[in-house]
Order: sequence, then structure tokens, then C-alpha cells
Amino acid sequence: MMSTGTSISKNRQAVSLQGVDPETCMIVFRTHWAQVLKILEKHDPLKNTQAKYGAIPPDEASTVQNYVEHMLFLMIEEQAKDASMGPILEFVVSENIMEKLFLWSLRREFTDETKIEQLKMYEMLVTQSHQPLLHHKPILKPLMMLLSSCSGTATPAVEAELVVLLNQLCSIIAKDPSILELFFHTSEDQGAANFLIFSLLIPFIHREGRVGQQARDALLFIMSLSAENNVVANHIAENTYFCPVLATGLSGLYSSLPTKLEEKGDEWHCLLKDDWLLSPALVQFMNSLEFCNAVIQVAHPLIRNQLVNYIYNGFLVPVMAPALHKVTVEEVMTTTAYLDLFLRSVSEPALLKIFLRFILLHRHENVHILDTLTSRINTPFQLCVVSLALFRTLIGLHCEDVMLQLVLRYLIPCNHMMLSQRLAVKERDCYSVSAAKLLALTPVCCSTGITLTLESQEKAYILWTKAAQTKDSCRGTSESTCIVECGRAVDISYLQYLWEAQEAILQCLKDCKVWSAFYDGENPDPDTFIQTLAEENSKDVEHPMFHLQQRTPSMCSSSQITPFSEKMQLELEWDDSYDTGISAGSDVSSPHPYDDQGSTEMQLPAEPPKHIQEMKKNAIMLIKGSYIEESDFQDDVMVYRLCAQKDAQDDDNSEKKTLNVARKHRVESQTVNNGPLANSQLEMDLDEHSKRNSSLTQGITKEQTNQKMIAVDPQPDLELKPAPQDADRNLNIRLLSTDGEDFIAQYDKIIKELDPNSASLEEQKLGTPGPVSPAEEEEDFENFSADTPSAESMSSPFGPKEDFFPKHAARSQSAPFTGPFISVVLSKLENMLENSLHVNLLLIGIITQLASYPQPLLRSFLLNTNMVFQPSVRSLYQVLASVKNKIEHFASIEKDFPGLLLQAQQYLLFRVDTSDAAEELLTKGNIQPDSSAGKGRSLSEASPAILQPFLGHKGKKSLALPSLPVHVRNAVLAAALFPEFLKELAALAQEHSILCYKILGDFEDYY
Amino acid sequence: MNPFWSMSTSSVRKRPEAEEKTLTGELRTSPPRASAKKQLPSIPKNAVPITKPASPAPSSQSTNGTHASYGPFYLEYSLLAEFTLVVKQKLPGVYVQPSYRSALMWFGVIFIRHGLYQDGVFKFTVYIPDNYPDGDCPRLVFDLPVFHPLVDPMSGELDVKRAFAKWRRNHNHIWQVLMYARRVFYKIDTTSPLNPEAAVLYEKDIQLFKSKVVDSVKLCSSHLFDQPKVEDPYAIVFSPWNPAIHDEAREKMLTQKKKPEDQHCKSMHVSGLSWVKPGSVQPFSKEEKTMPT
Repeated sequence: MMSTGTSISKNRQAVSLQGVDPETCMIVFRTHWAQVLKILEKHDPLKNTQAKYGAIPPDEASTVQNYVEHMLFLMIEEQAKDASMGPILEFVVSENIMEKLFLWSLRREFTDETKIEQLKMYEMLVTQSHQPLLHHKPILKPLMMLLSSCSGTATPAVEAELVVLLNQLCSIIAKDPSILELFFHTSEDQGAANFLIFSLLIPFIHREGRVGQQARDALLFIMSLSAENNVVANHIAENTYFCPVLATGLSGLYSSLPTKLEEKGDEWHCLLKDDWLLSPALVQFMNSLEFCNAVIQVAHPLIRNQLVNYIYNGFLVPVMAPALHKVTVEEVMTTTAYLDLFLRSVSEPALLKIFLRFILLHRHENVHILDTLTSRINTPFQLCVVSLALFRTLIGLHCEDVMLQLVLRYLIPCNHMMLSQRLAVKERDCYSVSAAKLLALTPVCCSTGITLTLESQEKAYILWTKAAQTKDSCRGTSESTCIVECGRAVDISYLQYLWEAQEAILQCLKDCKVWSAFYDGENPDPDTFIQTLAEENSKDVEHPMFHLQQRTPSMCSSSQITPFSEKMQLELEWDDSYDTGISAGSDVSSPHPYDDQGSTEMQLPAEPPKHIQEMKKNAIMLIKGSYIEESDFQDDVMVYRLCAQKDAQDDDNSEKKTLNVARKHRVESQTVNNGPLANSQLEMDLDEHSKRNSSLTQGITKEQTNQKMIAVDPQPDLELKPAPQDADRNLNIRLLSTDGEDFIAQYDKIIKELDPNSASLEEQKLGTPGPVSPAEEEEDFENFSADTPSAESMSSPFGPKEDFFPKHAARSQSAPFTGPFISVVLSKLENMLENSLHVNLLLIGIITQLASYPQPLLRSFLLNTNMVFQPSVRSLYQVLASVKNKIEHFASIEKDFPGLLLQAQQYLLFRVDTSDAAEELLTKGNIQPDSSAGKGRSLSEASPAILQPFLGHKGKKSLALPSLPVHVRNAVLAAALFPEFLKELAALAQEHSILCYKILGDFEDYY
Repeated sequence: MNPFWSMSTSSVRKRPEAEEKTLTGELRTSPPRASAKKQLPSIPKNAVPITKPASPAPSSQSTNGTHASYGPFYLEYSLLAEFTLVVKQKLPGVYVQPSYRSALMWFGVIFIRHGLYQDGVFKFTVYIPDNYPDGDCPRLVFDLPVFHPLVDPMSGELDVKRAFAKWRRNHNHIWQVLMYARRVFYKIDTTSPLNPEAAVLYEKDIQLFKSKVVDSVKLCSSHLFDQPKVEDPYAIVFSPWNPAIHDEAREKMLTQKKKPEDQHCKSMHVSGLSWVKPGSVQPFSKEEKTMPT
């Protein structure tokens, strides 16, 4: 049987009704219908008792078919005069022709083919008719019946046609919202779901290919409609599964993403569009995520909030969180790269907010995601690079909440600096003193080689025009007015750095206008900071719609701050404890040379306790000994786990359990009542819960206590070595028989076996000489943190969690600490010579990004070289000085340093060329066009146009110092990078000195 | 008495196109500031002066290390910082503009709004020593020698030294010099004058002094539209009121208060987010409704 739609369109091409008398058409239509009706009635069991169900002769069917085609054609072509119906349409409505035709097709076998036929017919009617049809119930009703008959199981062909029709309907509704009413009304007759066309679309949300795309487009029509129509919004939020399907669908799609990305080379650090377009699964996921983004953008707040909630509770928490804590480095790295990609792809603030909220506040196994991510910076694997890239994205958002959690909260109390320095926070560096001091760190040995200076007018002129050209492409610059005097050597690239610094700072200034405070050492007030935190924390439980476990402020539950602070306060904030030393050539870790600082305090505690080092070395040696070649992830697992041990150390599991229970409950209640409407109810639930929890947790705590006692008790001395040995034995045993997927499970086991041991090791390290019961620890702790009466007296609805907090707050008050992130980044930076080029580029990118922030607290900490900090706080300047010394030391022992440096510089310049092309690929979806496609790149690649002349036209593809051993190569490249980094920082310092007045100026205008 | 004049850096138009572009570029980057308070168009806040050290330093060899060559940058940024401080001070009736050719030379004009020198419009030039900030205090020279005890009747130079005997970096700033230059017209000091005649008259015959001042003010006003003494694209030039040029500019100034954000249509660029409630230090503490859209 020929399908109606196609045949009609064929007819239409041939025939035109232009100029044909409407009455004639009407007559033709009526006679056709009379013929059709005859056949229809002949087979209607109600009218003809002899009619046999299903047995319709083919010739009769095709007769009907032909007549109907003509009729539809006439109907479509009918032009309506004024507002009334045309006669044909009126006839169709009064005779209920459409319904009769639908029943006819039901009466015949209702095959897929007939369905498609009918769907096509309606699609054509709806899209091509000159008069509005959907307002008429006799047309709408059979359409709805058809649609509902197509729901449920359908073949792909029917689905495709169905979605096309639905899409058309939605676009018509979007154009004429009055039809919407009708869709709601007609469905009453059906008894089926209320808003049928919407419900029918839901199953296609996550479909790949054209069908999915059309369905999503159709849904977006409805979504934008919902923004203005409360009925629709309410219906969708309350009566449909739209939001849950959308959100949980993300989870489903996520699970089919590759858990391991193919090898991309060590330069790879984030997923670019080109990368993910190659993976169909990822494309599908990104489509759905994009769709969520679009829905949140256009939909009614009710839907938006619900969806956001579901994504949080249905995707981020249950899927992303565990994925970020997978067993192998590979998997974790992949997840991190995904998370980074998602962050870069999401443009809608509401959606971005929950992603950030997840990263900043969610705790997985009692550790904040943020802390876990931070700790990974110090791993020696590619994971570090990927994590750095993620942080670059985070910092590039210029989001106050991110910066607050990451850095600022540690700087607000101002106890990282000497008391007398507080006034200096806002000071500006009028005479470029800081810039001069930074540039003075340029190692003497690095000033040979390629120096981009101008010495003659002629050269100046040539290079000048080049600079001007670059500038034009990036809208106006200040340098062009800076004419270099003849005969004077001036560093050309520095002009570029200044320009970039200005751009970065201005952008950041602009973005930070929405921030709530200046962060200038006075606002937020350092002295009331703790107080405010405490108050808010108690309030927090009541309010937010998420009922999330709030991060207890200033308590950094993971690695970097240990609760056992007596020891810690003596140490630097340095986070060497999980620098595994695996990174190239650092096996012989020398004490940090701080000669130029002359501060003996600095030198003392630079290294983690001996036994920890030993443990690490043992573990590493064993691993290296067993599987020297890159034995995939086995050794990764081991080391990574050991690295991350500390994450788990803060294992007040009682808390975790509490939260889990609470969370489960929350999810339950949320699936019942959707979103914020249910708030009051939920709060009650929670109240009830916290009561129950407190008793519950008490039990758990006791249990824990016992476990700890057992773990710590036996022969503390012997505990140091067993762990790695066990691990080794275990690994060896398993390795013989492992294959495929069992790996992961087995490694989990291994790790578990390891865990108790290492946990006790942790305790060892933390310096309690013998077994100590938790009660005692707590006491010590309290003694230590003397002065926060206000915080102590706080009531704590969440019991143990709140108990925890004030002490930490107190600690942060008395033991200067600039936060885990700063400390881990600086410690990584200090190892610049051992880091690979890419790690260094990312580190430099992150630090320059941080240094672009105009907030005086941050600026003074990073760029003011005159600030006097507490002895335990290390400044960027100190770290740079240390790197300088390392470079000079390296230069003195490396024979052909100048030659190598020259090669390295040439290589870096060469990279500029290639990365310039790659730059365009870094489009990062649709967002952040200028959040610096890489601040990582700006360095050393800063002034491509200018630098090129020195390359001799990139003729020689100088590879990255191929012949050198890795550690020499890394060191030489770092030595080549370092002076450029200094220039970048100096440029930022200089630009800050002339731009910072804008902060106040502009804020005055705003507030 | 007051001519209906306006001040503008109209010479901008005479400059070659390329330079003009940069200037407008500069103007664009500096957001409209609270200039509505003032009567006159604000000078470009961010105009970048050039570095032209008066004494050509021995050209450093490239082998001599890179940081040898950063001196000009430090000087330039020091002066820029000084300039931004001046802008921030918003000294009433005082306007300056660094020269196009040298950051060490600033053009200025001062309007005296009441007192003995009321209606005075005095153009001046500030000369900054090239070893700034470690050298002597800057010099301030009026284009026409104003009749004033502290202004040299021949050279027009103001006695700045008496206020800044020793120029101390970090403590002394150029805006203080400008403030001082303004103050001398309101509060007259006659000790050890550069213009003894004026000093004596002020002490002994205030009426004659006053009339001499009025003459001096008139003289300055009559030379207001003269070409600037130094030929420089950034020199301050006065021209008679020309509705074709100035009406529009005045209109702009009066309506300038609009938030720049409004003009910036929603870009796709996501940045500058905050969910922190003002006064809070807790992330995501803001109420849902106030979420940025």
C-alpha cells in the first residue's frame, strides 16, 4: 500500500488549485466522502452486522485510500475567509470525518504501516493547512487517539514518524499557545496522561541521532512555553517524569562512557571538542547535558529547580562522586577530564551552580570532592595534569564561591601575615618594587640564549609593526603608544605580557563586580570571620532546598589538615606528605635549599617525618622492582592509593553514616514531593532525622573507637613495613592470575587489605607516640585550640559534625595556613625542575590566573614581595627564589647548560607555532571564549608574532631535546620557562598597581 | 565675564589615525566614571604616556641580562600609578594630562572657583625628574606667570620646594603637588616669596594686590585660546564653545551615569559568578531568588 503522504505530495506537485472555484472543490470533496463513507459503513459492525472484523478486501482499502488522498489535498488547500472555517473544514468537523477515518484504520489491521500513514497524514495536515485545524475537537481528538495508540512499544520507523509529528505540534503550540489549552482539555477524554504530546516525547530525550534531536527540540518548545505558563510548568513538574528522566538519563549515559581514554600523549590534559566528537557515547552524553542546559535556560523556575535538584541528587552525587573515586588512576583521570569538560560546557548559571556546589560542598566518604581533587595535584601521574586542568577551569570561572573555598577562606583571617602587615594588604606597589624583585629572580644563567630585546631603531620598527598587528586582532592595546627609544634594549615580549596582564585583570575585575565582598583584609572582617562562619553553619541546616551536607567551614577534612595538630603546627603547611617522589629524578630528595632566605626556620621541617618517607620509598621501590616496565595501572593503583591514604585518614565514619542516612532519606522524600514545594515537609523530616542520627552515630562512634584501638595497638614499631610487603605479596599473587575485569575487583580487595595497616600508619605519622584513644586525642585537641568560646557553645543539630567544626576553626586561627590548594600548587611549583613541561605550563597558568584576581588579599599574598608572612607560611616569592637556586645549581653542574637552554628556548618557540594552530581548536564548546585558552600557553608562547622571526621560519622541526634523559630535559625546559614566568608575574604586579584603583572606583558607582 | 568656553583635548583630532585609534581604545577600557560631578569632560584616565628618559642610559647589551632593560617599565608604571592616584583624588578644579611624548611631562589646568583668584583659569606644566621617585620634587610651571607671591614673575614657576623640601618616595605623590598648587590660590602665604612685590602688596595694600590679581586673571583668560606652548598631541587646548562639537559631548556627560552593564548585552560567556550572600563567608549562601540570571 502506498502511503498517503507521499502520494499526496506527488499529486500536489502536478495539480494546482489556484483559481479553482471553492464551491467546486466542496462538491468534489462531498462526493469523495460519500464514496468513502459507503465503504466505511459497509464494514462498520454497528451498521452492518455482516461486517467481518479485519476482512477488508484490498481493493476497497485502496479505493478509500485514493479518495482520502484527494480529500486531504482539498482540505489543505482550502483558504479560509476571515476568521470562520472554510466549508470543507466545516464539513470535516461536522461530519467528524477524521475520527471516522481513524476508526477505519483501526478496524483494518492497525499495523505499523497504517500508523505511519496516519501520522504522516496528520503531520501534513498540521503543517501545510492554510487554516488552523487543531482548534477543532473533531480533528484534535482522533489525533490524540492516534498519538496515544502510538505510545508504548513502537518500532523505530513509527517512532521516527511520531517524533516528527510531535515536533511539529510543539512548534505550532509554541507559536499559538491558545492551542495548549485544547491539548489539556482533550486529554481528559482519554483518561490518559494529561499532556500527552509532552509525555510521549519524554522517552526520546536521550535518544541519539535525529529522532533524539527532534524530540529535544520539541521539548524545548514546551519548556520555553512553560516559562510563561504556570499550568504547564506545574503539570510538568508535578505530573510528569520529565525532570527525573532527564537527570537520571544523564547517569545512564554516563555509565556507557568509556572509562578509559585512549592514549593521547603526555601533552594531553583536557578533552577538547575534537576529542569528544570522536566518541559517540560522549557525544550522546554531551547532547543530553546541553539539553539540560537549554531546558534550565528557558524553562519555568519550577522546572528549572526541580531539574537542577534531580541532576544533583540523581547524577552528580550517586554517579559522579563514586566515579571520581574509582580504583584506578586511569578511571579517576578519565572522570576528572569528563568533569572538566562538563564544567566547560555548561553555560547556565543555575546548572553550573550545582556542579560547583557538588565540587565544593559534597562529601564523598566524608571527604570533600574539592579536597580530593586538590590532593591529586600531587600525584605523579597524568592524573595530576588533568586535575590541574580542572582547577584551571574552576579558577577561570571567576566565581566567588569557588575562590572562597579554594583560597580566600584561608586568607580572610589574615593570620598568614604578621599582624603589622594587615594594613599593607590594600597597599599598592607604586614604584613597581615587587615587579623588580620578581624579575631580579631571573637566574643569571638564563639571561643568555635567546633574549628578545630591541636594540636598534630599525629592528624596532619591524618588530613594532608586528606587535601592532597582533594587537589589532585583540582589540586595542596600550603598548602601541610606548615607543622604544633608539639604541635602548627593551624586552619585547615583556610588552606582550603587560598587555595580557592588563586584559586578564580587567576581565577579572569586570567579572568580580558581582562578588559580595572586596576581600581586602577588612571586608569580610578577619576578626568576625570565625564567628560568622559559626552562625551560618548553624543556620545552614534549616534552609537550603538541597539539604546537602554543608561543608563545615574552615575544616579541611582531608589530607592537608590533620586533626592532630600538635605535630602539624610545628611543620610547614607543606604538603610533602604525599609527594610520592616518583616524579622523575626526585628519588634523592634533597632538603629544600633556602639559602637566600637565610631563614633557618624554613629549613627545619621541610620534609615529612622520616618513617613516612620510608614507607613511601619502600612502596615505590617494591612497585618499581616488581613491575619495572609500565605495567599499566597496577603500580598506579598502589601508589595512588598510598598517596590518597590521607584522604581516608580523617575517617570519622560516624559522620559519613549520618549523612548517608540523611541523604537517602532526602532522596526518597524528594521523589515523592518535587522540589522546593516540599521544603517545609522535608525540614521536618530532617529534624526528626537528626534526632535519630545522633543516637545512631553514637553507636557508630563507639564501634569506631574500638576498631581504632585494635588497629593501633599491636607493636607500633613493626607496623611500618608490613604494609608495603603485604601489598607486594598480595600483588604478586594476584598478578599471576589476573585478567580483564577481575583486576579492578581484586585491586579493591588488595586495597582493602592494605587499608587497616596504612590507616594505622597514618596515625603513627600523626605523631601520637603510642596508642591513643580517640577520647584523649579530642582532649589534646581542645587544649590546643583555646579561644573560640562562641563557636564552642554553638548548638549542633547534626551532632558530631558540628562538634568537629569549632576546633578546626580554632586551629585555622592559630596555625597559619593558606589552604591546601595554595600549598599543594606551590609545593608542586617548587619542584618545577622535576615536573614535565606540561605540568609546569598548567601550574604557571593557574598561578597567573590566581594572580590576575584583583582581590587585595590574593594580590598581596601572591604578588606583594614586601609582605611579611608568618614563618610557617610560604609565599610565592619564596618558592620562586627556591626554584631560582635550583636552576642555578643545575646550571652549574650541567656541562653544556647554555647550549641546552638555547635548544629548549627554540623548542618552546617552536611550540608556539604549532599550538597557535591548535589554539583555534580549543573552542571549548560554547563558553569561555577568552578565559584563556590557555593561560598555560600565554607563557613563553606569549608573543607568537614577535617571536617567529627568530625561528628561521620554523624550518627545523626541533624536537623537544630528544637526546636528553628525561630529568635533564625537564630541568632545562623548566629553566627556559622560569624567566618567562617571572615576566608574566611581574607584568601582573605592574598592571595591578595601575588598575587596582578601579576596584574602588567602580564599586562606588555600584553600591 | 566668563567666556562660554569649554576645554577639550581637541588636538586629538589632528593626530594621525593610528594614534587616535589607540586613544579611543584606551578610553573604551576605562569605564565611564563619576565625572558628572564635574563641569568638564574628564580627561582620558588611562592614556598611556611614553617612556622617554631624558638621559639616554648606556644601552645595555643583551648579554648583560634581561632585567637590565626593565628600568623604563618601572618608571613608566610608577608614573602611571601616580596618574591614577591623581585621578582618584578628584581634586576640585584641577585637571592634568600626561604628554604624548614623555610621561615625565604633564599638562594641566587649574580653575579657581572662589576667593581672591576667583574665575582664574591657569594652565601649567608639571615636570617630573627622570630619576623619579628618587629625585627632587616635580616642578610646576604656569604657562603665564600668575601674580602670586609664590610664583616666579619671570618663569611662572611655582615654589613647590617649600612644601616638599625633600621628595620622599611612598610618602609624596604628585597629586599632593597639584593639591598644593590649588591651595596657594586660596590660602596665600607670603614668607620668602618668589614674587616679593606680590608678597609686599598682599601684606601692605590688599586693594592694589586684588586689582593686580584681577588683571592677572584677565590676562590668563585672554590667552586661554592660545595654542599650547608645547606642541604635543595631548596638550590641553581650549576652544570657543562650538555647539556642533560640544553639545553632544555635554549631553553624553550628563547621561553618562548608566551602568555599563546595561550596554553589555548578555554574552554567552559565563563568568563572574557569585552565590555568596553579602556579609556571609559561606559559599552558596545566597537566597535562590537572587540568583544571577
